[in-house]
Amino acid sequence: MTLRRALIVIALAAIVAMCIDPRLLLMPFVDRAPYARALEGYPDRQWPLYPRFLEGVHAHTRPGDTIALIVPAMRWDNGYLYAYYRACYFLAGREVLPLVDPQNNKLQQNFRNARYVAVFGVTLRTPADVVWKGEGGRLLRLRR
Amino acid sequence: MTGIIATLVAILSLIVLGIPITLAIDRHARGPLLLGTSFLYGSGAMSFVMLALSIAHLRWTLIRVTVSALVVFCAASILAVKKPAGAQRPQPLKATIFDAGTVLTLTAYALYATLKSLWDWDFWAIWGLKARVFLEAGGIDWRFLESRWNTFAHPDYPLLVPLTFDFIALVNGGWSDRWLGLPGVAWAAALLLVVRALASRETSPLFASLVTLTLAPLAVSSHLGCAEGALIAFGGAGVLMIRAALRDGDPVLWRHGALMLGFAANCKNEGLALLVAVSIGVAVAGSRPRATARLRRLWPAYALMTPWLLLRLTHMLPTDIASGSPLSRLIARLPQAHEILAFLVMHLHEPWLWLAILTGILIAPAASRRSEGFVLLVTAIQLCFYVAAYFATPHDLHWHVLTSWPRLTSQVAPPVTFAVFLMLAKSLNVGRTLQSNGFRT
Repeated sequence: MTLRRALIVIALAAIVAMCIDPRLLLMPFVDRAPYARALEGYPDRQWPLYPRFLEGVHAHTRPGDTIALIVPAMRWDNGYLYAYYRACYFLAGREVLPLVDPQNNKLQQNFRNARYVAVFGVTLRTPADVVWKGEGGRLLRLRR
Repeated sequence: MTGIIATLVAILSLIVLGIPITLAIDRHARGPLLLGTSFLYGSGAMSFVMLALSIAHLRWTLIRVTVSALVVFCAASILAVKKPAGAQRPQPLKATIFDAGTVLTLTAYALYATLKSLWDWDFWAIWGLKARVFLEAGGIDWRFLESRWNTFAHPDYPLLVPLTFDFIALVNGGWSDRWLGLPGVAWAAALLLVVRALASRETSPLFASLVTLTLAPLAVSSHLGCAEGALIAFGGAGVLMIRAALRDGDPVLWRHGALMLGFAANCKNEGLALLVAVSIGVAVAGSRPRATARLRRLWPAYALMTPWLLLRLTHMLPTDIASGSPLSRLIARLPQAHEILAFLVMHLHEPWLWLAILTGILIAPAASRRSEGFVLLVTAIQLCFYVAAYFATPHDLHWHVLTSWPRLTSQVAPPVTFAVFLMLAKSLNVGRTLQSNGFRT
């Protein structure tokens, strides 16, 4: 066997070996329940109640409704980004209005334009009717 | 109907829709090639059916989508029946022990993909979000895409994947993200079936099955519910089909390759970049026919790419990379080029695999390297596009690299791994062509 042939065999074997993913291949033979449990709450590990709160908000609003969002973290990169993106997913069909932009500027006009305010994990003192309460938050209809 | 059954029925429906389309393109397609391309064409065609209904302001319903898909099915069936059968038929592929390894990899991936409801950030902030919003709206919600509050969802990204999720949701009778990992498994399986069929044309069953097994972990995307899986499947199949077309001059392979690349361009913006890279590769690589004639054969890809480009232009959907002045950002970062490139090397996903691929390219005989020039060139161009995008990004560069570089490199890995593997295998003179076994040349 020439040196080149030997190197080619080694390179081929290396490519095959580098591609094999033992963790994936073990998946059928291990107990997957712990993985499933870990993944279940993964996106919402900071605020486990938040998805259920958003589902409640979804159930008490109609398509096309505008909803502003107030959460304990009102800085964009410090939690508001997550809260806003997550709300957009769960409240599909409604228009979720952020109250903070990526530069952390307050968006007062969105508060004024919203039909509802979804308040999670904090108390809001403003003239409003409580439409629904539960799962760590409240859905408020602002009094105009 | 429970969610998993609905999802499986939807995937099966897409395969059934894709069978006459495949046969209309390639009357001789059988076995793995037929099955793999059928799902790819089925999912691609379904996304266009739903896009067309939305443009026509027809609200999506299961009946409306089914009837529209049946029209496509019947038209493709007529075309397939009219196509002359010809005398040549490919021989059935011979299974080997390595095929069992590929099946095991896909089974393991299916178990992983269905552990729980999809959890990837990009699923619920981009791909799943759009699908869910569109389902509520009964069509593409342009107001959502145009809203300045929703730029985070990348409104400019093509919609093949969200529209596939919407088809599954229609079959399911409502939105559920519990089983949406399964289409990713189907896309991966489709690519591997195509890989197995293409490899069998030019090497022994043992090496064809071994290269398929090698590619299996690269075909399965860990970014479940995102467009990566579909892009890897369509893009990988497209590049490998064009590679085979350049080798054999087979017009059927040109059509397959061009259509696959067109659908890849409907998965992600990287698919658009891939089409540009392939166009350059096609123009440069190969000698017959002339470059312009070769490029003309890619017309189905450009045709499939055009509707979404026009729609995103019409609706003025912003692209984050193109915001502000990308050129000035690129020029401003040029002095730090060595630092940026070092950062990319440092954070390369699967660095040992890339090292093995690079070593394989270097030690292969020059003639073998030249024969794989197309795939090597396309991979290099695509990587250059990615690096250029980092230089021009309006985001924090380090954040952008850390959150996307592994995904981007995984998109180009299957075709180049395939090419280098076969290049090395043939250099050992253990591969044997199957042209004598009845495959078209």
